[in-house]
Amino acid sequence: MHRTLATFALGLFLCAGFARGQDINAANEKAMKAATVKVAPSVVRIDTVGGLEIVGGGKSPEIRTGTGGTTGVVVSPDGYIITSSFNFASKPSKIFVTIPGRKDRLEASEVATDQTRMLTLIKVDATGLTVPTPIAKKDTTAGQWALAIGRTLDPDVEHLPSVSLGIISAKDRIWGKVIQTDAKVSPTNYGGPLIGIDGRVFGILVPMGQRGSKETIGYDWYDSGISFAVPFEDVLAKFPAMKAGNELRAGLHGIVPKNPAAEYLYKLEVGALQPKSAAEKAGIEVGDVIASIDGKPVPNYSTFRHIMEPKYEGDSVTFKVMRGDKELEFKDVKLLGASTAFINGFLGILPLRDDPGPGVPIRFVYPDSPAAKASLKEGDRIMKLGPPSPAGAPPRPARPLANRDALATTLASMAPGDEVQIEVKRKDGDKIETITLKLGTIPDVIPAKLPMPSSAGKAMEGQPKAKGLDPFGMGDKKDPAQKVETGYIERANTAKDRSFWLYIPSNYDPNISHGLIVWFHGIGQGGKDGEARSQLLKQFCEDHHFIVMGPRSASTDSWIPTETQGVVQDIRAIMKEFTIDHSRVIAHGTGNGGQMAFHVGFNARDTFRGVAPIGAKLGTTPGDNIATQPLSFFIATGDKDPNVKEIEALKPLLAEKGFPVVVRVVKEAGKDTLDAKTFEELQSWMDSLDRL
Amino acid sequence: MIPMRIAILTILAFIVPATATAADSYEQVCRDVNSKMVKIFGAGGFVRLNNFGSGIIISPEGHILTVASPLLDTPELAVHLYDGRRFKAVVLAVEPELDAAIIKIVPEGKQPLDPTGLDLEYFDIAASAAKPPAGPGDWILGFSNQFEIALREEPVSVQRGVVSAYTTLDGRKGGFDFPYNGKVYVIDAVTNNPGAAGGALTDRQGNLLGIIGREIRNKQTDTWLNYAIPTHAVADVIVKETVNGKEESKTVTLKLPEFVVKGMKADYRAVKRDPSPLRAKVYTGITFVPNVLTRTPAFVEAVAPGSPAADAGLKPDDLISFVDGEPVTSITLFIDYLERRTKPGTTIRLEVRRKGLTQLMSVQLTVKEPPAPSKP
Repeated sequence: MHRTLATFALGLFLCAGFARGQDINAANEKAMKAATVKVAPSVVRIDTVGGLEIVGGGKSPEIRTGTGGTTGVVVSPDGYIITSSFNFASKPSKIFVTIPGRKDRLEASEVATDQTRMLTLIKVDATGLTVPTPIAKKDTTAGQWALAIGRTLDPDVEHLPSVSLGIISAKDRIWGKVIQTDAKVSPTNYGGPLIGIDGRVFGILVPMGQRGSKETIGYDWYDSGISFAVPFEDVLAKFPAMKAGNELRAGLHGIVPKNPAAEYLYKLEVGALQPKSAAEKAGIEVGDVIASIDGKPVPNYSTFRHIMEPKYEGDSVTFKVMRGDKELEFKDVKLLGASTAFINGFLGILPLRDDPGPGVPIRFVYPDSPAAKASLKEGDRIMKLGPPSPAGAPPRPARPLANRDALATTLASMAPGDEVQIEVKRKDGDKIETITLKLGTIPDVIPAKLPMPSSAGKAMEGQPKAKGLDPFGMGDKKDPAQKVETGYIERANTAKDRSFWLYIPSNYDPNISHGLIVWFHGIGQGGKDGEARSQLLKQFCEDHHFIVMGPRSASTDSWIPTETQGVVQDIRAIMKEFTIDHSRVIAHGTGNGGQMAFHVGFNARDTFRGVAPIGAKLGTTPGDNIATQPLSFFIATGDKDPNVKEIEALKPLLAEKGFPVVVRVVKEAGKDTLDAKTFEELQSWMDSLDRL
Repeated sequence: MIPMRIAILTILAFIVPATATAADSYEQVCRDVNSKMVKIFGAGGFVRLNNFGSGIIISPEGHILTVASPLLDTPELAVHLYDGRRFKAVVLAVEPELDAAIIKIVPEGKQPLDPTGLDLEYFDIAASAAKPPAGPGDWILGFSNQFEIALREEPVSVQRGVVSAYTTLDGRKGGFDFPYNGKVYVIDAVTNNPGAAGGALTDRQGNLLGIIGREIRNKQTDTWLNYAIPTHAVADVIVKETVNGKEESKTVTLKLPEFVVKGMKADYRAVKRDPSPLRAKVYTGITFVPNVLTRTPAFVEAVAPGSPAADAGLKPDDLISFVDGEPVTSITLFIDYLERRTKPGTTIRLEVRRKGLTQLMSVQLTVKEPPAPSKP
């Protein structure tokens, strides 16, 4: 009520002003400065000391974040301050807070993080702090003036904070989590408030992207006119939970859509379920069609995401699904936090590639694997498989498999120990056998010698486009008859100021799917190593059908994480242009290039399936294993690398997250040399990434 | 809700007639400022080195203030006025520490120092510097020939934004390579584009605030920085003066208006300096813990007895967290600060964390000691 009156009064005041012939710009400018003054006491400066070097760039061989001060906003008079997790990406060893009007700099401690909104709550020993007034979400509308406030540019908190002016561009962005503005938002004001012209707070400025929610996501949108703030109303609502020290994590349901690309066209059919996920535990099955959530109809995947993405761990939802023509209800499904390390179930075969099906021909059987124990043999064809049966129950009848991709998708819902029934057509004769086997885990052993050929050479035929996957006919336009330039090729994207080299094996055939090795050069190489690198891999590429691509960093010195987006764009273009096997796209590199390989591997999960860094520390927060986007690691260095201990320690670290990891330390070698044996192992690893 | 709507409608009803008769429409401001802008053409034309730039007229005679860029490094310097007139120009003065240069129009058939006979609209630098500087939230307009969009008599490009901050840049993040160490206006509009350097930053009413700077990228955050050098700019510069018939170099504090006055009389000579004049060798007596990480916190390992640090009371295991108010995020940054910002004799203020408490101390730096002679 008061607010309405205040607005009314302001309106009257403004009207009176105009009546006197004052200029609207002057009134706006004055109001904005008054708004900044009003919020300033609640905007603090945060300085951090030490910490991991993780992202960033410059001349340093390490990848690291900026080290400047950052911004925070008071959320409680007794010393609680909310800020952007971006500022804590580097896990600082000390945090200092400077509060306007207070002489002493205070040491702060981290209380909790909201991983879904990229916010961190910190606490200082202080009382009587000023909490700014929120603007309710319902009163936030596109077009309102918005000022992004920060404390980075000017370290003196007795001065006014920095200001960037814009308007509210939209609300409920990124699946309903944030407000969008066109004010300039960057590390200079992350963690600061986005305020209205009356000095009340719309939200807290955070980096955010459509793709994910890592600490450093959102780089891509610097200076683009697209920036985000988490509504202050939501921040205050979650404050008690964070104050209690609870890490706020996304509420995971475990439903993987059948057609993730078709967000709007179809009802959401469950394509796979993360094992042990909330949905699986509740009894939802592959093939179910989601009808509604909490009574709200779900016409497509987009609506599903709008409802589900803002949810937290522990939130409960009620699903209604259609199973055939039966409607089923799953009440109060409690969403889980980060799934316990998910490990992909392993059958123990390498499929023969580019076979149009039906069924999946076997190229190789891993010794001692479930497949070997079930006496599957090279040349056999798996016709049907799964689904897994609940413990103690009789095996469920196997379902037909169209091809290799169908087998991979089916296995993505299964964990080691699951019992499945398969139907196999033996190499000799048409006899079909039904076998039950128990899935295992991917072994550390890299098969020494893989049988050839690896491909049936029919990539362009068969593989009928599943209806609905390509509604606009925008599929690949590879013409088998067309002559393709092979060898070492230079490519440049002059518009984007990027360039890369490409090595296409001389025996390139669009009917054979090729693996893609993306080589990230080391410091100072700037891609000059391209010809030598492609010579080194030439024989392997021809024998095993790989294409090598060597993007160049913008600076000759080193890679910086912000280059991920551009590199991935170039990779996607290559994947469209050539016949690329999506299950063998590998980020490979040495030194700083190896760190970049780790970074792109974790940040472009839909593109990469393998990461092979040589002589490189991790330098990135590792993600979790995702059933449908598996990632494997081949990590190597020499025993004289000063970081060898740290690199060896990556094996347990990544294995704990559920990733298959191979670590090799070459004897009597520095950090970027591989001996012949390890190099051969690396090649076999690359060629066996499509193992199932 | 209904009263609110009515209120908004009422405002709208007043705004429409109000703006129609508003006194300072941007239109007039833009016209006035544009008549004081020049387009500069000079050396360059290579990748990332443009042969075009911007400048502002600072005298009726045709003196022009712009940035000290390689663009000026040619005998074939030319300027285009707002009305399309073209002139040759000469460089009268350059001061890299202020990142400023004065050039002058030379009409056909005249000598560089002759009166030009022109009577142009101009910005009064001294009057601008006499006003208090703008602050965060002040609305600004940027005028420049960015990207060489305007040709001949076409008006230069105008942008609007606000002052984000009035602050210094050097030492903030160590990510800049920046000649000028004083305060700048940081702007929230993307003003610093190719060819924009030397353009005008004005307030809402067209009063000059500063000149638009170069394109600078912060390598650590990968953001571009948009800034202008204020007419209040001040720098410590080295100048040559003739005293008693002898030429001497000395360091003086120079304000931009002073530079402008001297420069317009062609009475200013900057001295070429050592490329890294500020890399002083100072001695504290502190030995840090091994600097193994890029961001190893500045923990003190040992303090040499009798050294400046020992005199100040620094002890092993202290964590240096701030120097002169600047956060010390790592040993590397602290050493870099000493090298760039101090010289023997400078007193630095340290904030030191010791057992969870902050200690304030001052350390007066001395000359770096030569390494002890090795025993034969």
